[in-house]
Amino acid sequence: MSNMSVKLPADAFRPVKQTSETSELITRPSLTFWADARRRLMKNKVAMLGLIIIFIITLMAIVVPVFSQYSYEQQNLSNTNAPPSTEHIFGTDSHGRDLWVRVWYGARVSLAVGVFGSIIPSLIGIIIGGISGYFGGKVDMIIMRFIDIVMCVPNMIYIILITLFIGTGPVALIIAFAITGWMGTARSVRGMVLQLKEQEFVLASRTLGASSLSLIFEHLVPNTLGIVVVSMTLGVPAAIFQEAFLSFIGLGIKPPIPSWGQLANTGISVFRIYPSQLLIPAALISMTMLSFNLFGDGLRDALDPKLRM
Amino acid sequence: MVRYILKRLVISIITIWLLATVTFFLLRTLPGNPFQTEKLLTVEMQERMMSYYGLDRPLMEQYFTYMKNLLQGNFGYSLKYTNRTVNSIIKSTFPVSAELGLRSLAVALPIGLALGVASARKRGKIIDYICVVIAVIGVSIPSFIMGTFLQYIFAIKLKLLPVSQWKTAAHTILPTVALALSLMATLTRVMRASMLEVTMQDYIKTARAKGLGEGRITWSHQVRNAMIPILTMLGPMVASVLMGTFVIEKIFAIPGLGQHFVNSITGLDYTMTMGLTVFYGIFLVTANFIVDILYGLVDPRIRLAK
Amino acid sequence: MSRKILEIKDLHFSFDTYAGEVQAVRGISLYLNKGETLAIVGESGCGKSVTVQTVMKLVPTPPGRLKSGKIIYCGEDITHYSQKEMQKLRGSEMSMIFQDPMTSLNPTMRIGRQITEGILKHENISPDKAKQRAIEMLAKVGIANPEKGFKRYPHQFSGGMRQRVMIAIALVCNPNVLFADEPTTALDVTTQAQILELINELKQELETSVVIITHDLGVVARTAERVAVMYAGKIVETGLSRDIFYKPKHPYTSGLLESMPSAGQVEKTLTSIKGTPPDLFAPPKGCSFAPRCKYCMNICTQTDPDEVQLENGHKVSCWLMNPQAEKRELPGRKSRLSTQKPLKEGI
Ligand SMILES: Nc1ncnc2c1ncn2[C@@H]1O[C@H](COP(=O)(O)OP(=O)(O)OP(=O)(O)O)[C@@H](O)[C@H]1O
Ligand SMILES: [Mg+2]
Repeated sequence: MSNMSVKLPADAFRPVKQTSETSELITRPSLTFWADARRRLMKNKVAMLGLIIIFIITLMAIVVPVFSQYSYEQQNLSNTNAPPSTEHIFGTDSHGRDLWVRVWYGARVSLAVGVFGSIIPSLIGIIIGGISGYFGGKVDMIIMRFIDIVMCVPNMIYIILITLFIGTGPVALIIAFAITGWMGTARSVRGMVLQLKEQEFVLASRTLGASSLSLIFEHLVPNTLGIVVVSMTLGVPAAIFQEAFLSFIGLGIKPPIPSWGQLANTGISVFRIYPSQLLIPAALISMTMLSFNLFGDGLRDALDPKLRM
Repeated sequence: MVRYILKRLVISIITIWLLATVTFFLLRTLPGNPFQTEKLLTVEMQERMMSYYGLDRPLMEQYFTYMKNLLQGNFGYSLKYTNRTVNSIIKSTFPVSAELGLRSLAVALPIGLALGVASARKRGKIIDYICVVIAVIGVSIPSFIMGTFLQYIFAIKLKLLPVSQWKTAAHTILPTVALALSLMATLTRVMRASMLEVTMQDYIKTARAKGLGEGRITWSHQVRNAMIPILTMLGPMVASVLMGTFVIEKIFAIPGLGQHFVNSITGLDYTMTMGLTVFYGIFLVTANFIVDILYGLVDPRIRLAK
Repeated sequence: MSRKILEIKDLHFSFDTYAGEVQAVRGISLYLNKGETLAIVGESGCGKSVTVQTVMKLVPTPPGRLKSGKIIYCGEDITHYSQKEMQKLRGSEMSMIFQDPMTSLNPTMRIGRQITEGILKHENISPDKAKQRAIEMLAKVGIANPEKGFKRYPHQFSGGMRQRVMIAIALVCNPNVLFADEPTTALDVTTQAQILELINELKQELETSVVIITHDLGVVARTAERVAVMYAGKIVETGLSRDIFYKPKHPYTSGLLESMPSAGQVEKTLTSIKGTPPDLFAPPKGCSFAPRCKYCMNICTQTDPDEVQLENGHKVSCWLMNPQAEKRELPGRKSRLSTQKPLKEGI
């Protein structure tokens, strides 16, 4: 039965005054891009698990060395290579140092190198890539050719060279990563800037008289932020890995300061007799890298506009 | 086409020249000298060695001498391995690294790509999760840990394979697997992402609208387009793998090129480092050139751009 | 056999997204007669593409979900056909042309193969024969030197030429129904005219029925016998083109017509419909056009109007059609269209 044939009160057919607001009002209660991304990220259980593990490891790294009765360099030559026990949760090493405290102090070093060793080069890359893409022409050509040439040699060679210059230690490593690690980001940011430059909104704000630098930062970079955040997150495990590798070849963190890479390297030499000395740092390195990778993957999925609805 | 190749060649030569120059001066600014590290040498003997290798001459003179030799393909004498030229060291160790690299690629490339394709086709299904988990674990375990464990389990505990060295085919298995696992993981991740990207393209909808089956669409439409990003990363990947990997070579005591990269720099063996850097540069440039040609075969749009 | 080659009955289609259910299609009924052209018009996002892609089962499910309704093709209920069964229909019985010819051809495959793979899938003929057919088809869609064109890649063609290739791909197996989803939106004006001309010609020659989707009423005038006007996932008015053009009964249709330029109308500014279409996450109570409607009444914001039948199969869903409502004369088309061909007689 059609509702057209139903008898209705006359009032029903009184015209409604349309204001311009009412016709504009009916729009989607729009979720902003970031809120939307966050909601998607929160729903991703695997990524959240990664984040929780990262959080726990960070917390342990901060707390354990503060409250432990041992210090990371305190030796006890009468109790070397002890197996895990209630006194020494992870046992002791060949100098009788408590491994529980060394592992969590090493976590500080490895995490710091990982996080800063990823963020700083990315920031440098954003700036240089942004400049290169925005100005184009000669500037762009010189920067890009420079990157081409430098990228002809494995990063590791430069990092080793630089550590030979400025010595070893966490800060030196971060500096070495900063000097050598920005090129990939710079390239991709440049590509994105070139693309965005074509788009109208940049033209529009240029006609309004914005200066070129503020243009880069106000319009272009925020648009590329999502991709950069993801690459930074995925850069953390890469930096942790590089630290571990450098410590493995004896160019990373030098004892007595521990780092996971260095603990693992020491562990390899005694692996067949005292396996826990390798297993513990190896598990932590792998678990941390895994967590950052899982979280980074989740972040990428959450920020991918094509999946957005 | 000829013009394009010539242009590439010129750019490559300039690149290599700049690379050699930068590395040359960078190395010389490092503190210390190559002979200092050997404690047995007195200061006087160190100076004798320096002058023997011409290292006491003015820097510019050394540079020009080096460049002249380089033009003839001569990398000079190693400062650490007495009486051995860099060329001869490369000649004896590169084949070992290259063989290991090629074996690993031969394993990793087909498996990695296949897993990437399978995982993208079954997105959200069990197979996808399994592939993703394998891949993410593969990229999350550093090779020195992986290598050590493989060695421990299969060589020391189970005694199935030789512990180390590079002699028979059996010796190659563990290092090949150790290296291949991380390559495979990387390839799987990239291929999966690339396949998913292609799946969203309009031409896939066109193919569906023609009535093609899913298998057909995957093989004739998706894979080829998804290979393009893989090719981009293949150049550097092949170069770095064939040039040897320090970690794997050290763990399995393989006489490859990789160890020399690290040892020569830390030992301030200038000529060795220079030689390896230039060799690597030439290799990478060549690899990238080959990749560009392959690119043209896969993507007709690029062929025309030349 | 009935004259209706395709019929959609009360189709509901939604997308399940993180944010909730998007009701893209909310109860659409329409039919297509043999040999006719039906146009579906409406603003961006009103569900036109989803409707036709649902018929061909080209919308991925999930996130898409067919909630209810029936799709009947040639008297057969294909609503619950599997993808395997659909593959037999796609390309041979019904085909589709997409909006953007720049992205809808595979960039790494030769044009020729993109045409022949469809033929080889549906017909049991030799590759040589298929090639012959493809070349003939390329000639038919107006590709100069079709032998050469057969070996080319998409990027070697202009946008208009690529759309011709798309048409060749779609029609090479001689389907009964062609869905053309905004086939001219991405093209410049002269090319648009040529492509529409081509679709009209081939439709006559191959006796295909066509569903053409567009925002552009000019396109409707050039091609379609009947029109369905969609708004927010529903059909608000449908009928013969001339009825819709000259005697629109729905304020939305009338607004669309007013916003369309015509010959001799140079100085007068075009009136566009104010406001934006509603959110398909939570469609408003009542008529979904009410918030933007000039003639909105109290009842419109409360209850959705049912369909009213007028002469010649003209149907409209609007409270203005209620006998109790004040009679309104809605403006339709006054002058002839600038690019108009004589409208074909409807059925
Ligand atoms: N994959 C999807 N997931 C969620 N929502 C979707 C999806 N595809 C389409 N929609 C929604 O369905 C609605 C109808 O989309 P549709 O593509 O049919 O619009 P349209 O009328 O064809 O518009 P246009 O003229 O822009 O092509 C839109 O609101 C859109 O947001
Ligand atoms: Mg559409």
